[in-house]
Amino acid sequence: MTVPVVLVVEDGTEYAEAFGRLSGDVGPVELLHATHAAQARAILSTRRVDGVFLDVVFDRTPPEQLAGDRAELERRFAGDRAGALEHLAFHQGFYLLAELAPSIPAGTPVLLAHDFSSEPGRLAALQATVPGLEGVPESETTTQILRRLTRR
Amino acid sequence: MIAAVLLGAALWASVPEPGASGNDCLPDAASLLSEARSRLAGNGSEPPPEELAAARRLLRSARRLESSPDLDLFAADLAFAANDEEEGGDLLATTADADSTRLSDAELFLVARRAMERRRWTEAAARYRELERRLAAHGESAAWIDPRLREIELDAQADAIAPPSSGPPIEARLALAEGKRLLAAGRLREARESLRTALQLAPSYVEALLALGAVETRSGRPRAAIRAYRDALAAEPDRLEAMTSLANLLWEQPDRAAKVQSLALLDRASTLQPDARPLLRLSAERWAEYGDAAKAQDRLDRFLAKASPKERDETASLREALARLRRPEPTPAPLPAPEEPASAAADRWRKAQVLAARGDPDSQASALALLAEAEALDPTLARAPELAAAIHERRSEWKEAEDALERALRADPSHATTYESLARLLERDPARAAEASRAWARAAEAGSTEALMHRASEEERSGKTSDALVLYRRYLAEAPAGMRSAEAQAAVSRIERGRSARIFGALALAGLAALVGATVAYRTRTGSTFSEWLSREPGRAAEARRIVGRLRHEALKHGGLLLSDGADRLEDADSDARRAAAALLVSRLYGGTESRGLLAEAEGSIASLRELARADGVRLNLAHRDPVFSLLGGGLRALKSAERGLRRIAADTAAPARLVRRTARLLREGARRFQLASGAELDRSIERAAALPVRLDALRALLAHVAAESDREAPPLELVGGPDGDGGLPAVRLSAADWETLWRNLFGNALTAGRLGISAAERRDTITGEARLDIVLFDDAPGMLTREELQNRPLDRGLGVVAEILRRNDGSIDVVAPAAAGFTKGIRVGLPTVERPA
Repeated sequence: MTVPVVLVVEDGTEYAEAFGRLSGDVGPVELLHATHAAQARAILSTRRVDGVFLDVVFDRTPPEQLAGDRAELERRFAGDRAGALEHLAFHQGFYLLAELAPSIPAGTPVLLAHDFSSEPGRLAALQATVPGLEGVPESETTTQILRRLTRR
Repeated sequence: MIAAVLLGAALWASVPEPGASGNDCLPDAASLLSEARSRLAGNGSEPPPEELAAARRLLRSARRLESSPDLDLFAADLAFAANDEEEGGDLLATTADADSTRLSDAELFLVARRAMERRRWTEAAARYRELERRLAAHGESAAWIDPRLREIELDAQADAIAPPSSGPPIEARLALAEGKRLLAAGRLREARESLRTALQLAPSYVEALLALGAVETRSGRPRAAIRAYRDALAAEPDRLEAMTSLANLLWEQPDRAAKVQSLALLDRASTLQPDARPLLRLSAERWAEYGDAAKAQDRLDRFLAKASPKERDETASLREALARLRRPEPTPAPLPAPEEPASAAADRWRKAQVLAARGDPDSQASALALLAEAEALDPTLARAPELAAAIHERRSEWKEAEDALERALRADPSHATTYESLARLLERDPARAAEASRAWARAAEAGSTEALMHRASEEERSGKTSDALVLYRRYLAEAPAGMRSAEAQAAVSRIERGRSARIFGALALAGLAALVGATVAYRTRTGSTFSEWLSREPGRAAEARRIVGRLRHEALKHGGLLLSDGADRLEDADSDARRAAAALLVSRLYGGTESRGLLAEAEGSIASLRELARADGVRLNLAHRDPVFSLLGGGLRALKSAERGLRRIAADTAAPARLVRRTARLLREGARRFQLASGAELDRSIERAAALPVRLDALRALLAHVAAESDREAPPLELVGGPDGDGGLPAVRLSAADWETLWRNLFGNALTAGRLGISAAERRDTITGEARLDIVLFDDAPGMLTREELQNRPLDRGLGVVAEILRRNDGSIDVVAPAAAGFTKGIRVGLPTVERPA
């Protein structure tokens, strides 16, 4: 039986460790880990990946490794560079999603660590680009998340 | 067979009727028939198409003048000869209706098959049965007909089942959420409007119908409530809440027919849920009141079969009263009429329902096969896996049942009863109690009032009376006519009495205790909640939103992620895995080299909110008065209590089992409280305080005001783009004060212009998907403005102030080209908006 492979993209190791050490009866899962877009893209181009988990806040990542058009954001923030960078770090999961979308095979479940329960229109808009995208409700456990990522 | 029919037609046409005259031109049926025959005579078995067509026209005219099986049969033969099987079949069916003995066996078969194809099951069955009789009379085999009759019976029963409704659209779910929020706040008129919006989008949305029933009941409009519950039952005939609420409302009606319906509904409810014993008792009491002692006695006996001594005492007087009553059984209400099939998938689901109801192993297997096909045809048809789960449960296939329920929830996450079924399934396994509890929580979120009661009882049993009280009150708000409203009301009174007694006792102890009590009362009753603070200071919404965002991410999301599973690992895993899990929890909850830890992050966020409020002269009483933060605080306290145990388990392979159990219990307590502390409710508080509807007339008035303050005449403000009318614009996430300052500065800069233009457009951020509104103010004043000039404006005046307000509120500002002739430039401001239901 093929062991499902899940790619976890986050600025630390919190989610990957929690999936590895705390999740219950999900069966064997191979966890791959990336801390920024380039690493994640490299993994997606060389490995089969059955599910992708994206954290949203990347406030520990060096600014030069953050995905997103900084010049465009600085323009939007009327020249406020610090504000643009803060926005980028706190919404990085969305920028990673946009950047990695072409590399994610169609039908792959992608979970973004954001609760869309009060913004269903926002989720639907993002699903137009990544049909397999879902949010993560606040009460969801590691076991439930891994089940969704591996479709078990 | 077709060839035989054609040959018959040709032979008939080739033989002239005795006495018929080709020259008779009178417009009667006989002459028309005769002329038709003349046209076909001499043409053998294959008359020319034009002659055949002319003969058919003549026969149609003849049939209009006279109704006769002979004419119908002849016309049928000619229709088949012209390859018009549709009309041929119609004519044979007409003949069969008039006199089926005129049809040959082959023709009768053709008529039966045609009726089956057209889903006219009664007719099809009657034709096949006649054919069966005829074949038996001829001594021919008719064994092939019986399976066909069974197939027809299945199809007919399936057609009598209403087609399943699809899941409601997202907009309907949002409208429902808003309606329930308003209902909980007692704003019944607005709640009704929101729920009607939901029902316009999804007319058979059961949760919205139930909530509307609650609104109407609380508004004192029982007829409207009855209508809503009836609609809910029509959409989902087995929905217990609709059944019991309707039963209660009908019982209160003065007419006897309504009471009969009420009793039938109660009986159906107790059949559907045999574990709900209070239903049996209620049913017994009402049958007795109605005057049918036999039925009342039957329900009472079933209730007493598992009754406690106290319950026996409570029902003693009813037992005695029943001995004196005897009345005939009233007629139950008729079943609703069947509807047309919805789709191939729904068709299979309906057949599967019929098979599942039969209950034998073969029928169940066939039902599962049909449901698998239905799911493959329409993966959004949640009712298919739901029914599959019910069948698997009957077959004790628990894993398959759970998988099917999970599939149903993926297809329709809004269906509360599916969560209920999952919760009940999970409750079978004591080791999965935490999962069952989460499923109940999801059911409550999806609108199940039964789940609210379940959770309330659970909380009360475990001594969490405050949480139980909140849930009982929610049940009473959402299901005022519900089956268990009396039980909920009694529980609220009980808990409140208990609380009052405790407070009284504490006050009576001594003067010192009174002082302590007064201090406690001061702490619990003074100060503001988060929502009250923001209502008073909406300008703080943007800063509060950032802090709450952080709090939701660090505490509520990570808490949900770590705690329940962490508790399970502590109890279930081997010693190495337990130590590893405990070590991970220690670093995540209490901090380590990489992070401050969940507790410090959450407490830091709460402290930041207190600090902000203090700057406004407001004392936040989050611990005692705030419904969300008090739960969050309780969760944090539970995690603090777990720290010593977790650290010991992380360090010691032989940690005592009792310590492990206690620590796991504290983690679960933390998880439960975090789960109850709704992050979404915090967001809604912010939006209630600082979501501003955009109104063009208000902007025009503000422009006039700004101009008057400068002793100028306001230039005309033209609408040059965007929705024509204010109803089309969403609310922006900005306080009213910031909004006014922003436009005062924009208008102040534009007063020298001869004319102004404004446009508005909704859009979504291409990266984050966030809903935004772009508003552009155009002017015809001379002089250009560049983006760089805009960026370098001082922050304390004019466009600098505008840019600063937008920066603080996640907005944007830019210079754009004029959209219409005569303007020289445009300034575009962009702001995030609140998602709206429609």
